[in-house]
Amino acid sequence: MKKKVLATLLATAMVAGCLAGCGGSNDTAATEEAPAADAATEEAAPAEDAAEETAPAADAAADPVANLIAATTDTVTLTVWASEEDQDLTTQLLDEFKAAYPDVTFDITLGAESESTAKDTILTDVEAAADVYAFADDQINELVQAGALQEVVTSYTYDVATENAAGAVEAASVDGKLYAYPMTADNGYFMFYDSSVFTEDDVQSLEKMIEVAEAAGKKIAMDISNGWYIYSFFQGAGYELSLNDDGVTNTCTWNAAGATDVAQAIMDLTASGVLVDMGDEDMATQIAEGTIVACVNGTWRAETAAEAWGDNYAATKLPTFQVAGKDCQMSSYSGYKLVGVNPHSANVGWSMLLAEYLTNEASQTARFEARGLGPANLAAASSDAVQANPAISALAAQAAYATPQRVGGNFWSPAETLGQILASGNPDGTDLQTLLDTTVEGITAPVE
Amino acid sequence: MKKALNAIGNYFKNIGIAFAKGDIWVKLSAIVMGAGYFARKQIINGIIMLLVEVLFVVMCIGYAAPNLAKFGTLGTVQFEQVFDPLTMTSTVNDYDNSFLILLNSIISLFLILVFILFWIANMKAVYRLQQKKENGEHINNFREDVRSMFNEKFHITLLTLPAIGVILMNILPILVLVAVAFTNYDQQHMPPNALFTWVGWNNFKNLFTNSVTVTFGYSFKKVLVWTLEWAVLATFTTYIGGILLAKFINDKKTKLPKMWRTLFIVAIAVPQFVTLLLVRNFFADNGIVNTFCSSIGLTDFLKSVGLVSSNLTYIPFLTNPGWAKVMIVLINIWVGVPYQMLVATGVLMNIPEDQIESARIDGANPFQIFVKITMPYMLFVTGPSLITDFVKNINNFNVIYLLTQDVYVTSDQLLANSNAKEIDLLVTWLFRLTNEYYNYKMASVIGIIVFIICAAFTLITFTRTIKGDKEEEFQ
Repeated sequence: MKKKVLATLLATAMVAGCLAGCGGSNDTAATEEAPAADAATEEAAPAEDAAEETAPAADAAADPVANLIAATTDTVTLTVWASEEDQDLTTQLLDEFKAAYPDVTFDITLGAESESTAKDTILTDVEAAADVYAFADDQINELVQAGALQEVVTSYTYDVATENAAGAVEAASVDGKLYAYPMTADNGYFMFYDSSVFTEDDVQSLEKMIEVAEAAGKKIAMDISNGWYIYSFFQGAGYELSLNDDGVTNTCTWNAAGATDVAQAIMDLTASGVLVDMGDEDMATQIAEGTIVACVNGTWRAETAAEAWGDNYAATKLPTFQVAGKDCQMSSYSGYKLVGVNPHSANVGWSMLLAEYLTNEASQTARFEARGLGPANLAAASSDAVQANPAISALAAQAAYATPQRVGGNFWSPAETLGQILASGNPDGTDLQTLLDTTVEGITAPVE
Repeated sequence: MKKALNAIGNYFKNIGIAFAKGDIWVKLSAIVMGAGYFARKQIINGIIMLLVEVLFVVMCIGYAAPNLAKFGTLGTVQFEQVFDPLTMTSTVNDYDNSFLILLNSIISLFLILVFILFWIANMKAVYRLQQKKENGEHINNFREDVRSMFNEKFHITLLTLPAIGVILMNILPILVLVAVAFTNYDQQHMPPNALFTWVGWNNFKNLFTNSVTVTFGYSFKKVLVWTLEWAVLATFTTYIGGILLAKFINDKKTKLPKMWRTLFIVAIAVPQFVTLLLVRNFFADNGIVNTFCSSIGLTDFLKSVGLVSSNLTYIPFLTNPGWAKVMIVLINIWVGVPYQMLVATGVLMNIPEDQIESARIDGANPFQIFVKITMPYMLFVTGPSLITDFVKNINNFNVIYLLTQDVYVTSDQLLANSNAKEIDLLVTWLFRLTNEYYNYKMASVIGIIVFIICAAFTLITFTRTIKGDKEEEFQ
């Protein structure tokens, strides 16, 4: 086995050397030569032959892409999944990718699969899933665990780990190993507001915002009965929720001493009826109707808010809120969209190159220009156009208080119910400590 | 029951006789299939039998043996993959896929069972040939055998294809599902990257024990009770509603009956999921119905009588357990009544007019006619379909899921800890468990229980309604 690998390596090196030497020689000739060379080296590998090829071999071995091109003789069949909204752009990028490797014949199929539900489709049958797919970073743990992500041991066309924002790279990693290519950095949440109602000082504190909104007879919306958002209160107040090393169960201290103050704070905030618990779709209609003047949501609602509020449309980091008389900065989940490579792909090498292409600086810039999605790439993000976008700069401001979403499946349902109970003012009058204890029991439940 | 046992007894007795009284060729057939045919000069039949045996042996060695060898453990070699950054290619080890092992083993076991039955049939057939020869009866040649497949044995020819279909589409998947209930197949043990293995009755125990963290037992009871309540309510409301509607439309005083009927059928023509999603939006907390109710003061009225809790500014149509259950049943009436109306229209038109006429002459009022003649007739004719509807409602995924998904949040923490909701049916809970949490093993367990419940209901009610000649009773 080892011998065969060595032989193939040498053979490809020779071919690459041949290419370098002959300059203009076309690649059909080169590939035709490969089996012959292979056979020769496998048979005996005469000393002088090996010596002759050593110098170019060293050069060529350092360039795996050239190796791969040389080793590719058949059509490369790949399947790519991108979201419905990303189809046009991805088609264009795929054409560019094909053009970048003119010597290789590609047969690339593009499928539509939302980033938010990619996991559900992929985990149904990993082997049948796409070779390259886009997904939201909260799914990375389950995908890695199911063996649906190829570790990014090295990158070829650009340095994934250093050219992207540190948060994005962290979000694309599990246990310090990089598993995906950051594509966008805009999947987190922050505060949208109508600047004709709130001043920049008002939006620093949630209590102040409620006061101002109440005076204006308007409402502030947040999806409190949703684990994703309620996290911002508990995390902000310093209580921990994290994923255990087993990758499925959680550690949660939301019932530790003093945590009842956070629960009480959420009840107090919603008690006035100004801060309302509301799902994303309802928010969209009510922003348009004008009843809501501020909301905690993500870039996907930027357009709705901008249309409704016009020039007064503004966005900023999340405010502070008071826990037992002390101001706490609301935390959040940062969110990234990533591109992953399926290890069950027949063409892992080409899949990795394609994933790199879809996430390089030029592609991320194109994605921002075409769809207004915030780039994870540092160079792309530093452009003036990106900086001028209120939603994306609000996300950047929130980034300091945001953490990547690392949580096991048992978190969602109990946390959702906790939010529901607190936002409706704890109608059964359950003791807050008992309430939190039951929630934590559910969140930290062993996974059978 | 006794009949069935006798039949099984005879089945095995016949092989015994074949063995005891068969000549050397019949006995040889036990090892070399087809020997008995060769002896009676049925060469082609013999070759076919021999071929089947050879194929079976090849199948055993090449397919069944390697899979069944791992059936006890469901595989031991974990998936491993090494990526070479230099050549950009990856090598994968020869790993075990627990699910494929399970699937292939079950298929193998099934094939072996089929072969055994085939072998027994063969033994009997060659013994019968021996008897025929001894009695000097005519022995078919191959051509005559083939012809008989199109004449006296035509039912066998006809049923072969459907039988294979039922086995492939129903029996084998059900066997796999049942097997999964006894394994630990879930998110931590998902092939191809991880292995799963047998855990015996553990999953069933988990379902019925109610510990603090695993609240499966608690949730299961709650969900089961609501499933049955729902199935009864949904079935009878749409049934009665459909009959009444059909009666009204068929009534001689109703003007333009065809138009009314068409209007209701149009409601069916719109895909159900579209209707349900629209209705969900109408009845959302900030939806159009709520806006209307609060503007006419209904919301405040309901608050004052205590049907809506005082801290709400809307009617929680689909977000409060009590309200949601009532709304789901009502919306289901609206969605389901047109179907029942169609069925009822057909049946009502066939009620013998003379019965109703004579009842009227005897002085029965319309209500009495309805209760004494129409309803018994309806129940008799539609009884079996009523039972089917009941079972269908136990598994009525659409209405519940589409109306409450993403809208309904449970306030019961114990239910939440098991990913269940008050309005969940067993089937929607099962869907959430598999689709959102990949808990295939528990889903299988619940699936088996749902099957048992449905099968029991169907069996009991069918035997009761169809038993005897009830046709006389209502006439």
